[in-house]
Amino acid sequence: MKKTVLLVLVSLCFIVSFSAAAEEVTIDFWHAMGGHNLEVVNTLVEEFNSSQDQVEVKAQYTGSYNDTLTKTQSAVQTGTAPHIIQIYEIGTQMMLDSGIIMPIEDLGKEVAGDNSFDWDKFLVPVSNYYTMDGKLNSMPFNSSTPILYYDRDAFEEAGLDPNRPPQTFAELKEYARKLTIKNDDGTVERYGFTLGIVGWFVEQMVANQDATLVNNDNGRSARATASNLNEEAAVRFVKLWKEMVDEGIMLNPGRGWDGANQAFSSGRAAMLIESTSSVAGFTENAEAAGFELGTGFLPRPAAANRGGVIIGGASLWTIADHPEEELKATWEFLKWLSEEEQQVYWFENTGYFPVTKAAVEREMNNKFFAENPNYLTAFLQLLLSKKAVSTQGALIGTFPEVRQIVEESVEKTLEGNMTPQAAMDEAAERVNKSLKEYNQLNE
Amino acid sequence: MQKLNYRSHSLVPYLLLSPTFIVLLLFLYWPSINSVFLSLFKQAPFGRKRIFVGIQNYINLFQDPAYLNSLLRSTLFIIFTITIGLVFSLLLAVILNQNLKGIKFYRVIFFIPYAISPTVAGSLWVFLLNPVAGQVNYLLDLAFNIQVNWLTNSFFAFLAIIIATVWKNMGFNIIFFLAGLQAIPDSVYESAKIDGAGAITIFKDITIPLLSPTTFYLIIMNIIFSVFESFGIVDIMTQGGPADSTNIVIYKLYREMFINFRPGIAAAQSVILLALVIIVTIFHFKYGANNVHYQ
Repeated sequence: MKKTVLLVLVSLCFIVSFSAAAEEVTIDFWHAMGGHNLEVVNTLVEEFNSSQDQVEVKAQYTGSYNDTLTKTQSAVQTGTAPHIIQIYEIGTQMMLDSGIIMPIEDLGKEVAGDNSFDWDKFLVPVSNYYTMDGKLNSMPFNSSTPILYYDRDAFEEAGLDPNRPPQTFAELKEYARKLTIKNDDGTVERYGFTLGIVGWFVEQMVANQDATLVNNDNGRSARATASNLNEEAAVRFVKLWKEMVDEGIMLNPGRGWDGANQAFSSGRAAMLIESTSSVAGFTENAEAAGFELGTGFLPRPAAANRGGVIIGGASLWTIADHPEEELKATWEFLKWLSEEEQQVYWFENTGYFPVTKAAVEREMNNKFFAENPNYLTAFLQLLLSKKAVSTQGALIGTFPEVRQIVEESVEKTLEGNMTPQAAMDEAAERVNKSLKEYNQLNE
Repeated sequence: MQKLNYRSHSLVPYLLLSPTFIVLLLFLYWPSINSVFLSLFKQAPFGRKRIFVGIQNYINLFQDPAYLNSLLRSTLFIIFTITIGLVFSLLLAVILNQNLKGIKFYRVIFFIPYAISPTVAGSLWVFLLNPVAGQVNYLLDLAFNIQVNWLTNSFFAFLAIIIATVWKNMGFNIIFFLAGLQAIPDSVYESAKIDGAGAITIFKDITIPLLSPTTFYLIIMNIIFSVFESFGIVDIMTQGGPADSTNIVIYKLYREMFINFRPGIAAAQSVILLALVIIVTIFHFKYGANNVHYQ
């Protein structure tokens, strides 16, 4: 008798625990946040998992943005795609055309039937980027823009006003000239300015002059069919780049971010343009190296219209091909991520912008911006940006390729094989070809 | 009964071969056939749409100056890495072939670069060649007061990946040269010495010809190494740049597939690459083999 009771109890236990486990929906989340940010993502996910017992999110680091996109492509073809993927901003058009996504606004409103969610809670420049056909397509997640960083002590040394960073292209050049220190034997001790060869900077400089990267309103009113890379805005910037490198007042650290960062951190260059997500790193480094860090808006040609910066970084996309129950759980997690608490945590630990108005307001009330003026620079530049298609950002199906093309053209210019105009003409032609092929496949 | 047994035995070789054959079929032949098939299409990202284009991908490739430039770069890259690599390895192998105390330790040291991963090798060279903090520029500055922009200048970047690849593969070459050297019997050397041959003559007329089977094998292996395995080093050190100067075919192929998401044209490139390697190998077997002397 006792045995029977025990058996029944044990089996009951099993059934209860089993059914409890079955109730918990598992959500796969692939992201590209490595290093320190990986821990921040994991902390957020753990917090969400322990805050309730219906949804279990499994976060997985899938390599770089590019690797994540590649892995998603193969996963989709084998039917093993995750629920949420983090895709860089330049993958937006490709995701829209992929036919595998569910716009986040549809997910919230229709699938989850969530009427309480405030769709206007996001910062306007951020939601503008990810809004197509009048609805938000992906959940803004990590956002950043470029700003100018400089060594305030070096400014004073060179007789420049540290409270007045260069605002125009002409000033940038003039300042860099004054900041450059040359040794007696002709080698450069310190360069005035440095910039890694990254296509993103060209895109931002074009937007900052209120110009578009591609036709059809930056690909927003219709598919882009032609590139504007060979027009004045882009060519002017590449020309400045070349002139400064040729003059020996700007260090060319090669492609990518690391070289320029090292040069600025080690005092080899007095100014640089980099992502706002590096504010914390540079501040720390400046303290260690014993100089004061200054930040400013991106310079632009005196004659150009005031445009602004485009939001960079990445957003979270939902893959549609999952059972309704899992999609609802996906929404719960995404909604939770956009809450004030999580946004503030994310911002303070990674340096990426919080993407909601409430989080910014709270940081202001906490005097965060008063104590960290370099973050204020980043925010003001973003919020003062003109609301236009130029700063909304281009939609290009083959954006990753376009970036590479731009980088190659900049390299060709800097090496002296081609004039800026000729290099950008070639770039534009290659981009046009790439657009044509893409459009053919995605009509 | 006897006959039946015989028959069942005749299946055994096939049975024993089948694991190898299955692996080859799944991981070598099937993907190869598949890439030929893929190369006839244009495909949208995520495989949503596929258009049959026949040999258009191939035509486009051969009309693309960037691709032709990449082929030329790769050819130069292969010729330089193999020539420099084999000459250096042979010299080092001769030095390492002596009966010295602790020689095994030195041999191991020279083999280490081959054992580390291309990513680590690439990163090491990026550190060494760093224009500001790198040891190479520091020494150049001390000795000649010059600073070289190793990875931001087309010429030097090309040189840098050649140096890194040669360094990386040297261990493999040295091991095979060492084995080859030790297979040459002392009696040959002794009789040469008795005939009054000098060190250089011995090296030129005895060592090199008798090593030719090893050299022959190493040339083919090095072609394969520098065509396919240099990818890691290029990816870490230069990413094909600056201005496409190090964009060798295998790296271009990777970018076409994994950054530009064009499986069709990437497959066409891999088919061309496969064909070229086969052709070079056949030529080498046909004409190179005449110069090989077996004992």
